[in-house]
Amino acid sequence: MKKNIYRNIALVTMAFAIAVASMMAVSWWQMRRATPLQTEVMETLKQLGEANPDNAVLSGQIRQLDLLSRKAFFTGESQLKTGGWILCAMAAVIAFCLRMYYSAARQLPSKDLDTTDEWLTKSHARRYLRIGAACLVAVGLIAVALGPISKRSRVGQAGKSTSGQVNKSTSQQVNKSTSQQVNKSTSQQVNKSTDGAASGEWSLLQLSRVATEVERSSTDGAASGEWSLLQLSRVATEVERSSTSGQVNDTTQSAQALLPEVLHAPEDSNTLNSPSVPDSPDNPGSSTAPEEPADTLPIPKLTWNAFRGNGGSGRSSVRGLPTTWNLKSGKNVLWQKPIPRHGYSSPVVNGRNIFVTGADAEGRELYCFDLWTGELRWTLRATGISGSPGEMPDVSADTGLAASTVATNGKQVCAIFATGDVICADMDGKRLWGKNLGVPDNHYGYASSLLLYGSELIIQYDNNVGARLMALSVTSGRELWSRSRTDKIAWSSPILTKAAGKQAVIVVGNPAVTAYQASDGQELWRVECMSGEVGASACASDGIVYAASEYATCVAINASDGEVLWQADDCLPECSSPVATKSRLYVATSYGAVCAYDAASGKVVVQHELTTPFYSSPVIADGRVWLFSNSGKCYIFSTRDDFRLITSFDTGENTFATPAFTDSMMIVRTDKSLYVVRKE
Amino acid sequence: MRNTVLVARFPKPDFTSGYQYPDVLHRVPMETFWSWVDVVLLVGMMGFVAWAVHRRRSRRAILAVSIVSVLYFGFFRTGCVCSVGSIQNVVLAMAGGDGYRLPLVVLLMFLLPLVFALLFGRVFCAGVCPIGALQELVNVRQWHISRAVTSALSFIPWVYLSFAILYAATRSQFIICRFDPFVGIFRMGGDVGMLVFGVLLMVLSVFVGRPFCRFLCPYGALLGIVSRVAVKRVKITHRQCINCRLCHHACPVDAIREPCGGKVAESRTIGTRRVALYLLLLPLLTVGAALLLQSQSDTLSMAHRDVWLYTQLRSDNPPAVLPAEVEAFHEMGRSMDELEASVVSVKESYRRLSAWAGALMGFVLGCKLVRLSLKRTRKTYEVDPSTCVACGKCFSYCPQAGRSTSQPMEQRAENGVYSNYPESRQRSSVAQHVNESTRFIKNSQHEEKHL
Amino acid sequence: MERREFLRTCGTLITGGGLASLGGVLGSKASAVEGETMWQIDPERCLQCGRCETECVMRVSAVKCFHANQVCGYCDLCGGYYREGVKELNTAAENLMCPTGAITRRFVEEPYFEYTIDEDLCNGCGKCVKGCSSFGNGSLFLQIQQERCLQCNECSIAKVCVSGAIQRVPVGTAYKLKDHA
Repeated sequence: MKKNIYRNIALVTMAFAIAVASMMAVSWWQMRRATPLQTEVMETLKQLGEANPDNAVLSGQIRQLDLLSRKAFFTGESQLKTGGWILCAMAAVIAFCLRMYYSAARQLPSKDLDTTDEWLTKSHARRYLRIGAACLVAVGLIAVALGPISKRSRVGQAGKSTSGQVNKSTSQQVNKSTSQQVNKSTSQQVNKSTDGAASGEWSLLQLSRVATEVERSSTDGAASGEWSLLQLSRVATEVERSSTSGQVNDTTQSAQALLPEVLHAPEDSNTLNSPSVPDSPDNPGSSTAPEEPADTLPIPKLTWNAFRGNGGSGRSSVRGLPTTWNLKSGKNVLWQKPIPRHGYSSPVVNGRNIFVTGADAEGRELYCFDLWTGELRWTLRATGISGSPGEMPDVSADTGLAASTVATNGKQVCAIFATGDVICADMDGKRLWGKNLGVPDNHYGYASSLLLYGSELIIQYDNNVGARLMALSVTSGRELWSRSRTDKIAWSSPILTKAAGKQAVIVVGNPAVTAYQASDGQELWRVECMSGEVGASACASDGIVYAASEYATCVAINASDGEVLWQADDCLPECSSPVATKSRLYVATSYGAVCAYDAASGKVVVQHELTTPFYSSPVIADGRVWLFSNSGKCYIFSTRDDFRLITSFDTGENTFATPAFTDSMMIVRTDKSLYVVRKE
Repeated sequence: MRNTVLVARFPKPDFTSGYQYPDVLHRVPMETFWSWVDVVLLVGMMGFVAWAVHRRRSRRAILAVSIVSVLYFGFFRTGCVCSVGSIQNVVLAMAGGDGYRLPLVVLLMFLLPLVFALLFGRVFCAGVCPIGALQELVNVRQWHISRAVTSALSFIPWVYLSFAILYAATRSQFIICRFDPFVGIFRMGGDVGMLVFGVLLMVLSVFVGRPFCRFLCPYGALLGIVSRVAVKRVKITHRQCINCRLCHHACPVDAIREPCGGKVAESRTIGTRRVALYLLLLPLLTVGAALLLQSQSDTLSMAHRDVWLYTQLRSDNPPAVLPAEVEAFHEMGRSMDELEASVVSVKESYRRLSAWAGALMGFVLGCKLVRLSLKRTRKTYEVDPSTCVACGKCFSYCPQAGRSTSQPMEQRAENGVYSNYPESRQRSSVAQHVNESTRFIKNSQHEEKHL
Repeated sequence: MERREFLRTCGTLITGGGLASLGGVLGSKASAVEGETMWQIDPERCLQCGRCETECVMRVSAVKCFHANQVCGYCDLCGGYYREGVKELNTAAENLMCPTGAITRRFVEEPYFEYTIDEDLCNGCGKCVKGCSSFGNGSLFLQIQQERCLQCNECSIAKVCVSGAIQRVPVGTAYKLKDHA
């Protein structure tokens, strides 16, 4: 009888405890969802109150809400506290009652329970342990196999390929050895031999499998569950294998992560003349009409995030570009659209968004075009920025107010204009911040392009007064660091590469080429070799930084220590920036010569006299060098040692900007319009 | 960098009304006093439990200690610092964490239970540890879990311990404290996830004896090792034992092993070969696990805030809102070189220590496998000293103790209170025992009714 | 059986020796005086990120705003008391900075006001501290109220503190005050 009383008390208390607990949970949830002290309602009300200081009703409301929310907060707090104590007391009561109840009905062992065979238990325990350990090992090995992928994407952006490759090869080795082991152990299973341990492989999987073998050869009866371990390790191997192969397939697609630097310029012979380059499966075939509903069109993977590509490398791993197109007939041209305002800035592309800027005396604007349709998705005007000059600074006609290329990272996009106005927007054109850096004292007009490194927006602000290199927070516009520069005015743009073991920003100025640590702007090295008006940016390949400027020199600098490897002055660019591969440096001049330097010696190996000025920069894409002359003639060169001119044709529109590339597409800006080239 | 120089923008006021600055006194609690009270109580309670277990063989005394422990160490002292967590402080001090001085109290918290375990078995677990006491107090039922499963699960504490050591030695985190499921209950607050986990564990421990102690507690793993060679241990007095199995079924941690022997269905050579091979595998497992964990050291090192911050700073896809740490890094004007140097050294120590942690795991795994391949015969019921937490439940279940005199059990046996029991009852074959004990159970049931 | 006993005795001795040497080694590193520590916020490193309010294991944080009267300017327009851009200097809710109303002020003499923090109401959000350090003498600062602090083995605020301002300090210097700076 007594024990039933205890049971009933326990049950009733339990019911109460559950009720109290759920009430507390609800109250906690409410308090969590709207911390009464900082409700948005309150904030907006307070802001409203600030706007209308004389509105007595409003302030009355605020006061009332304030009182209410505080009351709610403190009642909630005390509720939770008392609830906690009540719950504890109830738990004690329940525990006590249950104890009494069950001690009254003491458990006695049933007869048939006690016949466990300890040896069987032990062998089961061994098996569970092995399975558990194998699971842990499998997790570890999968992590090892996945490591290179994530590392690769990280390393790729840092512009370093070796460690990724090493990792990959290790993981392949691991794969190989594991599959060998599986085979081996299967054969062992047949032979029932026990000498598997002799192989000396380090892999833990192997070890646990040896253990399995031992078991199998020794216990016949308990062997039933043994296969599961083998199965498990097989699964692990398979997972690894598939992840590795996936990784190989991914390499081309995830090349967005790879700076083109990682890829050495591939050979062009087979891709150019044979039509065998298939579209990557992600891209629709030529049958896909561009008028298709916009949402079903794929988002390309390759990006071109800044002037001359990611980090300013001038290279893209794009494939399958057409080698000819016609703007009039529209052959191989996806679309062509006018750009509302004029500018010399180059397009950048990330996902389906193409960003360009344009400006005139009436307005400075950042445009976002849709890659597939050419529709102008949004326009962002640089207005309402404090410190922005009312009157436009004097700029020359061939620089303009929008000569600087924007930079993006796929989440934010930033633009700068010759007025010193910087604006930053998200991908939907919502302005995040705007800032004026001080009107540049610049007789041609400010022209350096932006660069994004992580959360830093890096700006080379080399003007006649207050030359500096600075990094702003891309999310807030706040200055993260700033380095004043002794260099004179320049129009070149910063690039990113690895120097002295660190991610570095290379700035070509007058009179020095300087490497700054990208994270805090510390100077890594400085080489004084330039003079005159510097307009061409640096480029880098395989640990060598190249810089060239007309009336100065062309110089190759060891990125790790700033040592000058060679200097030459045969073929020097004015506005066009050079681009380099492992073995060659390509330079396009404003007097019509296009040259290939030998990267090792600095000798001009091949020179084409094309008698037309080049302001646009050569870029390496699809295994070829692409170059537009000012008059709009497109030249395509081989990246092989002979630097053969493969083809050239007139596009018919003046082109000063450098093209941008994404999956099998090229985006070109002419002096009036924007068009996208894509193989039909 | 910020705020380093306090700029008095507004001058100190010149009071003319004779205003006096208020005297504000910020009191410091008697933390030192209380922590010494902790130590004294710890010793006293462990001594009391040792006496209750070895001399009195009394469950009630241990339950009383449990209640005191839950109230004092648990609810009053809110569970910090406890012996379980003190592992990390000790490791941190051993790793030579710069500027970290190990408080003497913490050292005693760590060492005393180990010393007592060496002398008297796991008397700390019995009822002094508030975590164990709480689970013990709510435990009323014993769901049967196969020993194969429990002995495999007892590997988890070692994994937990290895990671706790790794993270503590690298000054990354105190994971034992962070993932303590019961501290939230004692404080009635804290992380909601851990609170829910704690309540679930508590509900589970109503039906399963001490799930945290057995399958999670890293300190319990250490105590188990030490108590294996304990001087005094909880014993079944064989001369009085009638093999009724009641204690075996009552034991919340399944520490009472039943008699076994002779039933192994494999030849001796195979068994020996297995043991030899596992012994051979032991070093290989150790090295293999060390290498495997070491290969992950870079990933593991993300738990360190400097490494995390560094990767955030280096991130090429910054989130729409920068983490506050990144903003703070720039605001503090900390130099990147300094951070880089720190990251390099942290990663280096991770490489070293993760190998050791992996080796520990591999070694324990190997040892467990070896132990599980050893054959043992037992003629009678025996207590496994490494799993026994000295909770005394078996005493209260023992029918022989029921006819108590005030004398402790061993003395009674020595004095020959039950010497009139036939010899066959005390030393007979397993089969006979089973028969007899069932008969006895019937008797004892009968007796219980009358009682 | 004897062999087993012998082995166990050996094990006991070895373990005992091990524990003793471990105790010796650690004892040399341990300290009874300096070792006793408490958690403390260094107000000079604190950036008022607001995590003290939310990260403490207690429902209402043990971190409180402290006020150094010696440093205070006793201004009427107090950057810690009033919201930014306040129009009227009165105690109406819409004008005040503190979300819990933990700061009270008392008129001393023209033009000075004395500010006091009600610790029971303060939740350690640090809004007033931010206000006071950007427009004021910085006499308001955050500090762990040691009597409320549970002295967790690892402070859960310290774990996420953006500037690493929370550190263990010896008990003797439990508070870092600005009064006598």
